[in-house]
Amino acid sequence: MAPNSALARLLEHPGIWRGTSVARTEVLSSGFAALDERLPGGGWPRNGLIEILTPRFGVGELPLFLPVLAALTSAPMARSAVWVSPPLEPFAPALAAHGVALERVLVVRAPAALKSGALWAFEQSLVSGACDFVMAWDQRPRPKQIRRLQLAAEQGRALGVLFRPLQAARESSHAALRMVVEPSELGVRVNLLKSKGGVRGTVDLNLTAAGS
Amino acid sequence: MASRPLRTTEARVVRLPTSLRSVDSRRAPAEAPELWVGAHIRSLGSATLEKLATRVQRFTPRVSLVPPDGLLLEVKGSLHLFDGLEGLLREFQSDCRTLGAESATALAPTPLAALVAARFGEPFAVTNKAQLIGRLTAMPLAPLRWPEDVVERLARMGVRTIGQTLRLPRAGFARRFGPEHLAELDRLTGRNADLRHHFQPRERFRRRRELTYEMENNDTILAALAPMLTDLGRFLELRQAGITELECRLRHRHAPPSVCLLRLAAPQANVARLTELLGERLNALVLPEPVRSCELRSGLPVLRELTSNPLWQPGEYGGASAGSESSQLLERLRSRLGYEAVYGLQVLQGHRPERAWATCEPMVASAPGPASPTTNGAAGSSRTDALAPRGAGDAVAVGIAAAGQRVPWAAFRRPLWLLPTPELLEELDGVPRRRGALRFFGDVERIETGWWDGGEIGRDYYTAFDLYGVQLWIFRERADPHRWFLHGVFG
Repeated sequence: MAPNSALARLLEHPGIWRGTSVARTEVLSSGFAALDERLPGGGWPRNGLIEILTPRFGVGELPLFLPVLAALTSAPMARSAVWVSPPLEPFAPALAAHGVALERVLVVRAPAALKSGALWAFEQSLVSGACDFVMAWDQRPRPKQIRRLQLAAEQGRALGVLFRPLQAARESSHAALRMVVEPSELGVRVNLLKSKGGVRGTVDLNLTAAGS
Repeated sequence: MASRPLRTTEARVVRLPTSLRSVDSRRAPAEAPELWVGAHIRSLGSATLEKLATRVQRFTPRVSLVPPDGLLLEVKGSLHLFDGLEGLLREFQSDCRTLGAESATALAPTPLAALVAARFGEPFAVTNKAQLIGRLTAMPLAPLRWPEDVVERLARMGVRTIGQTLRLPRAGFARRFGPEHLAELDRLTGRNADLRHHFQPRERFRRRRELTYEMENNDTILAALAPMLTDLGRFLELRQAGITELECRLRHRHAPPSVCLLRLAAPQANVARLTELLGERLNALVLPEPVRSCELRSGLPVLRELTSNPLWQPGEYGGASAGSESSQLLERLRSRLGYEAVYGLQVLQGHRPERAWATCEPMVASAPGPASPTTNGAAGSSRTDALAPRGAGDAVAVGIAAAGQRVPWAAFRRPLWLLPTPELLEELDGVPRRRGALRFFGDVERIETGWWDGGEIGRDYYTAFDLYGVQLWIFRERADPHRWFLHGVFG
């Protein structure tokens, strides 16, 4: 015990920085205990960009964020939750049934004629300071733009989620968290590709247990 | 030194008659402190009362509207400027004719008397309060525009003129016909003061600038607009107002003018912000030809509510709610992507999935979000009023803050995504397929409703997984072709 406590005391020294506690002061519980255990700091980062890679749209990536969406929108000082160019119409009754406060939800659809309008809207929403949570679908940002998005999210104190196809896993990314979401027997299998100050690995989640 | 004050008094005495003479003293000694011209507009023509009032403000700043067809002008101070009463009325009539309106006028020391006399239509010019009652006596009650039953009851008593009414005992009159009519008689005769609201014209900002040479580049056009925008800022600052609409019109040599309309979520007076937003709009604009001149027009100025800056950053614990940030974001997104590109969601009552939701104007209120779900019942119902439903729905919008409990069929599972229109599925031996075979899962739910408004549906909804593990919401028609459709994705 004695060497252990000595080590613990040593580690309390302010000059020592450890990987697992790297400057992430605020986190949001994901609503899934198994996932919270794996995520650095015990939840989604409060400010920053998360990249979700899926083999196909609709494999269970959105239910992953419903608990945090419900918690953020119904908080007393809630800011907006923006959906940037979702592929289909978000079904309001289902969102409401999951506890999402719809008055905080804002849907943005960039006209198809405007090139990279959605990416611009994503960045503007992140940086504005008016949003708690911003989601965007199927954009093709370059690595440099992802870095901009990550900085914008930190500046605007927002959590950004970018849904991308699985093929993008090969590209490098500045996102704070990168994970692959695939369907599994129970619900979804989450594979953490990159997490700042966390461990990589795979988690199986039961969506029906926490979702409804 | 002693003779000096005496001389000034003399001077005053000498000056007094001249100032009196200026107020049309040829007709009557001006004893009344006010002289009102009442105008009864017989036909407005194409003009509106506001337009007319704006026009006749050149006679006096004290113009009052009496909708729907009355105008009042206090002219005592300005009679001498228009060569007495005849001159003023002549000019007034010609102004009315220019706007296509016809009017009858009268002059009296009280506004109500002037208006009533003008409605009566006979020539009437009284400048002295002492003569007023005498001149009003013979007038019938109709121009007072009292309610019909009052006039009728008075007529049954044999009272048909204003003079007869004035002779009735005051207390009894007030008891029988209401104190408001007695007060009106008092205002008519000048016994009580008659305070009128002065008409204030609605101002808009409008500037036009001819360019010295034709411009094509959006940035140079914005630079050319800059001085006008600075003017706009000064205009708004003077009035402590902001605008919610700004129109920029760019004229070309041949092509019709390009219009770029800026609509703002909250009144804005900050020139830098307006310039930035206008720049975004201009960048999205495709100009058919070089620009020869540009024009700025504002919407109605709206009085701004000025607030202090919060101590905390928005989003910080205990910080201010991000009201201004979210309205700024909304404006920025809309100015670039278009007005319809940004919307909110709301739940509607009804079982048909297509009509269970609608888009709505996003909320930018700085009101704090809903408290705990157990205490927000009342807050939810009041908040519904603030949202104007845009889509045609089954019925009333559900209180959204409380929607968590009030979605009528929360017990059933609903998909998170809905297809804008159901997608027809291919079939193999009567079994639907989508990119391969489907694996059915869970119970069937029948939705059969809407027979009362023509949007009748009869469907059996199933959940199914496709080959890739995507959970789909599909339905089979109850009616004859029994086709299969994909209607939602669970996410």
